[in-house]
Amino acid sequence: MAILEVLHFPDNRLRNKAIAVESICSEIKEIAKNMLETMYAESGIGLAATQVNIAKRIIVLDLSEEKNEPLILVNPVITKLEGTETSREGCLSVPDYYDTVERAEHIEFNYKTLDNQLVKTDSDGLLAICVQHEIDHLDGKLFIDYLSPLKRQRLKKKIEKQEKQEGKVL
Amino acid sequence: MSSRPISSRFIASQIIEQVIEKKITLSIALHNNESFKNAGKDKALIQEICYGTSRWYLQLEHILNQLLEKSIKKKDSRLKYLMIIGLYQLLYMRIPSHAVVSETVETCKNINMGWAKGLVNAILRRYIRESDKLDPLLGDNEAAQTSHPHWLIEQLKQDWPDEWQKILDANNQRPPMYLRVNQQHHARDSYLLKLKEVEIEATATPYSKQGLLLKQATDVEQLPGFNAGEVSVQELAAQLAAGLLDLKSGQNVLDACAAPGGKSAHILETQTDINSLTVVEKDPRRAEKLSETLNRLNLDAIMKVSDINELDSWWDKENFDRILLDAPCSATGVIRRHPDIKLLRSAKDVNAICELQKTLLNTLWRTLKSNGLLLYVTCSILKQENSDVIKEFINNNNDCMLKPINAQWGIDTGYGRQILTGQDNMDGFFYACLEKKC
Repeated sequence: MAILEVLHFPDNRLRNKAIAVESICSEIKEIAKNMLETMYAESGIGLAATQVNIAKRIIVLDLSEEKNEPLILVNPVITKLEGTETSREGCLSVPDYYDTVERAEHIEFNYKTLDNQLVKTDSDGLLAICVQHEIDHLDGKLFIDYLSPLKRQRLKKKIEKQEKQEGKVL
Repeated sequence: MSSRPISSRFIASQIIEQVIEKKITLSIALHNNESFKNAGKDKALIQEICYGTSRWYLQLEHILNQLLEKSIKKKDSRLKYLMIIGLYQLLYMRIPSHAVVSETVETCKNINMGWAKGLVNAILRRYIRESDKLDPLLGDNEAAQTSHPHWLIEQLKQDWPDEWQKILDANNQRPPMYLRVNQQHHARDSYLLKLKEVEIEATATPYSKQGLLLKQATDVEQLPGFNAGEVSVQELAAQLAAGLLDLKSGQNVLDACAAPGGKSAHILETQTDINSLTVVEKDPRRAEKLSETLNRLNLDAIMKVSDINELDSWWDKENFDRILLDAPCSATGVIRRHPDIKLLRSAKDVNAICELQKTLLNTLWRTLKSNGLLLYVTCSILKQENSDVIKEFINNNNDCMLKPINAQWGIDTGYGRQILTGQDNMDGFFYACLEKKC
């Protein structure tokens, strides 16, 4: 097991589109385990493979307070979006920034488990938001893409400035 | 996706939930809450909401019950606390009402209770709409209007028939912040000048030569020389103890139930030529706090971590010239500082604590020299813990004589002097000075 490096906006590799997993071999299981470990280490509730520079359609989630209900979704696909809901989101690739994003309130989706079982399910609330957020990553999209261009520009400047300062300290 | 930042409102409602459901004190609930400790600049807001909500809890709960059409299910009780802190912000804080509603509703999502958004929104808006109608109705319900438990109101009416309303009112005020200047470093006036340099406004107090009243509560780190021990935070009523002990050079002094050590430190600062000060504290954690206080002020005392009642464990059979017994009590005199007392204390607790006060007096009396003085102190305003205890003790002990306290402050009860909360802007304290006859 290993903790992987999480890419930070505005890293261009976050824009890569992930490719479907063809067979769930031991390599995929290893990747999923490492992703979970990374997500827990970063106190996240969801992580997509794109964020750790792996171009495969895998996401991991855990919304429980005790961090003991991990979910691994291989090749997740949303089949139905219903209603709208706004809430504040944050992202491990955009540290310390939260903003309000509009999403579908209720979704139907399917995915494969590590045992190669196809699961069809639906969800609302935080899980629905999180699944939409992570599948966006697999398509090279970030939650801040939904913000106004002005807000996004300001955020980019702020992050560049921060990194410059951190660079100086080093 | 990163976990959402925990909303300040949620942290505050969790802390209130702990006080009400787990019956732990507000300061411990705050201290134990990791999210509060990491809240950074929101800490002040959370603290304000928690103290204010505790102060007005009984009133806010009453209002909420009137607004709700059916009661909230036990498993959803966190919603109740969220709405109560919402009401506190609407009634008592200068936050625009639309902001209170939207933040509280947003918090429902934050804690994965998005389904309750509608309910929370409706209840808070209904209060905003109907407050003109609801607020006057409070007048019919004394407990809700004054936000005090019924038993305490009745007891105060009985003990202080002319003053009880003033006391209830004083209990609901924010407490002033008093300092005690360490006279080994500074005369009071010279420390006042030091405060002026850093633009902290303060005035000299009556009754204590070392006392200062700050115009505004300030973080102790902002006080010049605090870490070097030049000054301490201490309520004015508590600063009266050292003077009443009538300390003389060469005396052996005992401070029983000494933590957190304010009065011990005051004794050592003002009477440097006593022979020894023994401090006893039962609770190891509180004893640690006590030694921190003494270390910061660079003062020396003989410290015993023991139960006073187990004499053999701490007493070397050498009688004391002076004993300060700052007895455990209901703390009904410091409700303005610790509003959670109104939510935690019951009439039954007072009975139990009275027994302990009597036992402590009896035990300590054996350790007092002839002609020695024992100063009995409580931060209670209930006669049962104060004049009643002293009266019974004097009646049962022929060698005990009440030494009158001649003072400008407080009320003479015939068996000790009582300061009622708010009098001279002090906390409610009781002092009785007992002399051991030969």
